[in-house]
Amino acid sequence: MATWEEIAEALVDYQQSCNSNQRLRRVQRDWSKVINFTCLDDPTVIFQMTVVKGEITEWHSGYAAQHDIHVRATSEDFADMFWGDLNPSRKYLQGEIKVEGSQEDVMRLDAITSIIWPDV
Amino acid sequence: MSGAGLPALRRSLGLRSTTAVSAGLAFAAIDYLGGVTVAIFVAGDAAWLAILAAGILCLLAALAFSELNSLYPTAAAIRLYMRNSMDDRVALTITFTYMTTIILIIAADAFIVGRAVQYVLFPDQDFLSLPIIAALIGLAVFSNLQGVRMAGNLQEIVTYSALAITVVVSVVALALHGFRFDNPITGVFGAGTNPVLAVVYGIFLFSAFEWVTTTAEEARKPSLVPKGMLVALVLLYIGTAAFTMALTAYFPDHAALRTVPYPQLLMAQRALGVGGLVAMFVATGLTAMNTFNGGFLTASRFIYAASREGNLPRSLSRLNVNAVPWVPVLALGIISLVVATLVYVTGAWLILVSVGAALEAMIYAVAAYCVIVLRRRRRDAAREFRMPFGYVTPVAALIVFGGLALVAAFADPNNPSGFSLVPAAILAGMGIVSAVYVIVVTPRLRQRVAATAAPRRPRRPPRSQ
Repeated sequence: MATWEEIAEALVDYQQSCNSNQRLRRVQRDWSKVINFTCLDDPTVIFQMTVVKGEITEWHSGYAAQHDIHVRATSEDFADMFWGDLNPSRKYLQGEIKVEGSQEDVMRLDAITSIIWPDV
Repeated sequence: MSGAGLPALRRSLGLRSTTAVSAGLAFAAIDYLGGVTVAIFVAGDAAWLAILAAGILCLLAALAFSELNSLYPTAAAIRLYMRNSMDDRVALTITFTYMTTIILIIAADAFIVGRAVQYVLFPDQDFLSLPIIAALIGLAVFSNLQGVRMAGNLQEIVTYSALAITVVVSVVALALHGFRFDNPITGVFGAGTNPVLAVVYGIFLFSAFEWVTTTAEEARKPSLVPKGMLVALVLLYIGTAAFTMALTAYFPDHAALRTVPYPQLLMAQRALGVGGLVAMFVATGLTAMNTFNGGFLTASRFIYAASREGNLPRSLSRLNVNAVPWVPVLALGIISLVVATLVYVTGAWLILVSVGAALEAMIYAVAAYCVIVLRRRRRDAAREFRMPFGYVTPVAALIVFGGLALVAAFADPNNPSGFSLVPAAILAGMGIVSAVYVIVVTPRLRQRVAATAAPRRPRRPPRSQ
């Protein structure tokens, strides 16, 4: 089980990788969302991320009162996903990652990984 | 707040929206031809009864999808419940075959709308139909590639408007006809009728209503998806039954309608003149907007996911600058154009209704099978909804829809005797292509993905013990 510190370390790298990828920023330029995350194996680990026009502007622990997407997965899957070591689509289609949100948002979330780490 | 103290999701769908999604995906321009197909196999004005029987059967399918949806409330439900009920290769084969329904409907709608545009704007220039069809598909592909999507509210307005126009025009037409009906009940039976085929084709009128289950993660409450399906079935029944009644009232020789790809325009024109023609032309255009928006979106996103899962080539998950999986959109457009051209050249548009009816009945039977298997395999899994009467309803649905799929596969409304091997041959062709792909190509794709991933060192730093 990954700790919040491990997930936070992964999020630092994820934010840097996303924001520095020009192609991703261009593709996601019309995508502004507030996303809540819940760890299924430790429901006390909850966090949120704000994406503004494709740029991850902030993330921190706790839920956002108003959100567009809610992602639930194990802490290990979150850590692997933010490090770019996990294919979110595959886990989603296996029912191991659960997403509340539109189909479009599910694809956009996965697109982050597929654009930054195309070999995953 | 929702659930266990969780904040509420923004822009989640209510009952009006889930109903609109369900009805909008089902109510395509080809439903007008579906109405003709039902009418061909009954006498007088009895089509409403066959459509009612089909609607009640679709209720069984809705119950099955509701149970599966409550077990897997996700857009990926079809992959999950089929994978967990049967061998994954069989599940994938069925899924790929099922997806071809969307291509058929896009192609059929392009053909019907193209012919309708030609009839209204260029009545004596039949040769313009094909360029118009190509232009419509081209426009749909272009707008999809640009990332143009109908906003949720607009989608609802389009769906409800198309249904409302169809019902109002049909009811006014019936009123002008004095509500005089010829054998409205006994016409189902008797010489020259085939009630089973009429019901089979009636099922086609409701097809795709179940796709609303892919919005499970957007609904405010899980129960809104089943409720949306039920309300949509009622609305679809009212729309298609009213239209078919009006059609048969004005065209007592149902068989003659086989040769017309825009019966809704002829009925409205005969009953209400130019005003009726324009109203029905608008309704036809609105149904096509839904098909081109929802059809392209649903199919291309499914293909994207299948590609990312490793079951389709990686190139199918490439996104353009508008975040659109451009290869699937382009491929869907090209295949739809080929199918629409074939339909135009052969004039056998009603065969699409047969193939579509068989595919839909097949997937309803598969859904019932999945309910039965998952009740055994996931006995203790939480379900907010169960099909009533234990195993009676899923087993009945499996038998009924399995039988109806077989009947539809060997039926052709273009043939006065109703029998044909063509739909079965088309379905077998699609099934064989899907199966060969899944057995031969998919394992190679997965191997390639694994080979690409193997040399890649994980980016996540190892834990220090």
